[in-house]
Amino acid sequence: MSAIPPRPGQALAEGTSVIVRQQPPEPHCRTPFYLRGVKGEITQVRGCYRDPSLLAFHKPGLPLRVLYRIQFKQKDVWPDYAGNPNDTVVADIYDHWIDPIAE
Amino acid sequence: MSQPNTNSHDHHDHSHDHHDHGHPHAPPAPDDADHYDRYEVLLQTAIRELLDEKSIITADELHRQIDHQDSLTPAIGSKIVAKAWVDPVFKANLIAEPLKTINESFGLDISTPLDLVVLENTPSVHNVVVCTLCSCYPRMLLGIPPAWYKSVDYRSRVVVEPRKVLAEFGTHLSDDVEVRVSDSTADLRFLVLPYQPAGTEHMSEEALAELVTRDSMIGTALPLSA
Amino acid sequence: MSDRKVNDLGGQPAGPICLDEHPTTLHEKRVDALQKLLTGDKLQAFTTDAMRRAIESNTEEDYRSMLYYDKWIRAVRDLVIEQQLLSAKEIEDRIEVLRERHKQTGSL
Repeated sequence: MSAIPPRPGQALAEGTSVIVRQQPPEPHCRTPFYLRGVKGEITQVRGCYRDPSLLAFHKPGLPLRVLYRIQFKQKDVWPDYAGNPNDTVVADIYDHWIDPIAE
Repeated sequence: MSQPNTNSHDHHDHSHDHHDHGHPHAPPAPDDADHYDRYEVLLQTAIRELLDEKSIITADELHRQIDHQDSLTPAIGSKIVAKAWVDPVFKANLIAEPLKTINESFGLDISTPLDLVVLENTPSVHNVVVCTLCSCYPRMLLGIPPAWYKSVDYRSRVVVEPRKVLAEFGTHLSDDVEVRVSDSTADLRFLVLPYQPAGTEHMSEEALAELVTRDSMIGTALPLSA
Repeated sequence: MSDRKVNDLGGQPAGPICLDEHPTTLHEKRVDALQKLLTGDKLQAFTTDAMRRAIESNTEEDYRSMLYYDKWIRAVRDLVIEQQLLSAKEIEDRIEVLRERHKQTGSL
């Protein structure tokens, strides 16, 4: 099933540099701890979805949130990352957990 | 939450095969009478019976759901990958619009509130999938995930040391390959499209499907060679 | 650390990955089917997100040590009660009936 497309101007563009917020997690949270405060790049805008942190409590989950696939360099995630410096991790993060940053 | 029954210890017959072939499901294990005294088995039975008595979920509906779940095996995913290997137009459509392409090409009707993403492995990028937060998995294409995928150890380690984890699966990648870990944190589900092994270009779609193991569609293994 | 929930495992210390597998047992299939139908389009008794939330309410020790399908059936229990499909009392009463049935007949 395809997600609902964002309204014009609602979503950040693919290629935008972003940083994951460091804020207290919701009672049900889908933004992993290991990515908080880490900068990455939007690789896909996946459309709008109901907020899982609200759906978890039988609420409608509105307003819809834009979901982004965001790619992070492993060396930005883990200070001692031992693999290839080009290795990456990609996670699916909702719009209220990221901020755009100037490169 | 109620207290766990700390006396219980589930002993399953462990199969030491690595079930990473897309062959048909084994028949269900018989109910083991020794386990009927486990709280969770009693709980499942109690809930199941009560819901049936109240016609909320009938025994028949439950059976049909179990049968449907049993019909989902990695063989479905293997066929899709094999077709992508032999048919470049199908492959392009599969990557662009996965569910629509699968439903049309295979006459399936995979309807799901979730969205499918196909991650193509190339000589320079190797994809591997995890759900660090729970156990999200493309069950509509691969069936039920293996226990290791749901384990604390896999979920903890594959994001931070993917190459070491892959080595434990017998998978070694060179340093000029980017290992890209996808963490399924939302309603997207991921199917890895493995890179077609060298020397298999002449093979039939059916024979190619046999090379596409479940683990190669998760990304912890490479497909079998010819 | 309260900022990291018990289920939020990425990067946590862990050990070798056990690669053993067993065919899904009938009990496990029933747990799976129950939650699929309860969260499905027809009943919409609760969401998969609610299931996850219920499982995340375990202590860290329980979350890490409990069997996967045990966490699921306990979450199903919590949610059918929360959504008032069944009461805690009728579930526990039925469990006692089942224990007695098992004692008398050796099965459920």
